[in-house]
Amino acid sequence: MTLFDELRPVVEGGGRAVVFTIIAGDQLGAKVLVREDGSTVGDGPAELAALAPDALRAGRSHLIEHGDSTLFADVFGPPPRLLVYGAIDTAEALCRAAKLLGWTTIVADARARFATAERIPSADELLVVWPEDALAQVQPDLGTAIVVLTHDDKFDVPMLIGSLATEAFYVGALGSRRNQERRNELLRDAGVAESDVGRIAGPCGLDIGAESPAETALSMLTEILAVRAGRSGGRLKDAPRRIHAEPATGKK
Amino acid sequence: MKELLPDIDRWRSRGEKVALATVVATRRSSPRPVGSKLAVSESGELAGSVSGGCVESDVVLAAQEVLAGGAPRLLTYGITDDMALEVGLPCGGEIDVFVEPLE
Repeated sequence: MTLFDELRPVVEGGGRAVVFTIIAGDQLGAKVLVREDGSTVGDGPAELAALAPDALRAGRSHLIEHGDSTLFADVFGPPPRLLVYGAIDTAEALCRAAKLLGWTTIVADARARFATAERIPSADELLVVWPEDALAQVQPDLGTAIVVLTHDDKFDVPMLIGSLATEAFYVGALGSRRNQERRNELLRDAGVAESDVGRIAGPCGLDIGAESPAETALSMLTEILAVRAGRSGGRLKDAPRRIHAEPATGKK
Repeated sequence: MKELLPDIDRWRSRGEKVALATVVATRRSSPRPVGSKLAVSESGELAGSVSGGCVESDVVLAAQEVLAGGAPRLLTYGITDDMALEVGLPCGGEIDVFVEPLE
């Protein structure tokens, strides 16, 4: 088995691994594949395995100066996940757009009539569950964005409280400004810290004049991308900084 | 990488060797992020991209040298490169591309 043959099931299965390649120095081209469980394959120095935990945590491919050599750490990991609570038409539009980016999409709703494959064909996973169970099943991590579309306190409040207790890189909620303020009061009453209330993107989306569900979905998804890259999401022609972002650590 | 697998499989099933070019570093603006890959078959077919088309033709030449038995190579492209007019990057950035046999 070649190193490529060993890497392939990791890539196809959305697992985590790092491939170190010596791109300058002795043993040019030598490689070591390190899987998340620490097992290694390859003709490169075995000691490189010690660099793997940091490289995996960084979540993106990068160069490492190592003694007299330069290493390329090629980091492989699962694509970002989008968790949508509320199986309304905008949920389908959001999933369809996220699939274009290669993301994994999950839609949850407690109402079985809403959460059907006919209504939401673009969801990789459909869960008929209450918010607490949705979060328990999905286990949002640093690579997960959560959007709450239910517009109903009995779903929104527990979903937001639960989401803010995770490492999700984005937590967004639909709703007018007045509705957001009223709901945020409920969150504060429930003991949510002000800094966590401030994490909520609400009303979610960029100000692009979106009207239809598909436009609204794009508005949200572009905000999610901007947050992930640490950008504000304005027009490039007005931006003072370089165009291409380095994705933020751990959010590849 | 995942999106390149179908093409790589097709080439290898024909008995062709494959070279892989990977963006290992970018400076200033660049069209594709670090980690982007271009796979090149022995017969010159391409999958993926390292620059959105700006430097691919030169990378393919290097890939074919590597497949012919040459050592892996680290290439740098950008406006400071003396080949800028032929294979420069329109963004005005620089990229380093590592070219190696896929094995």
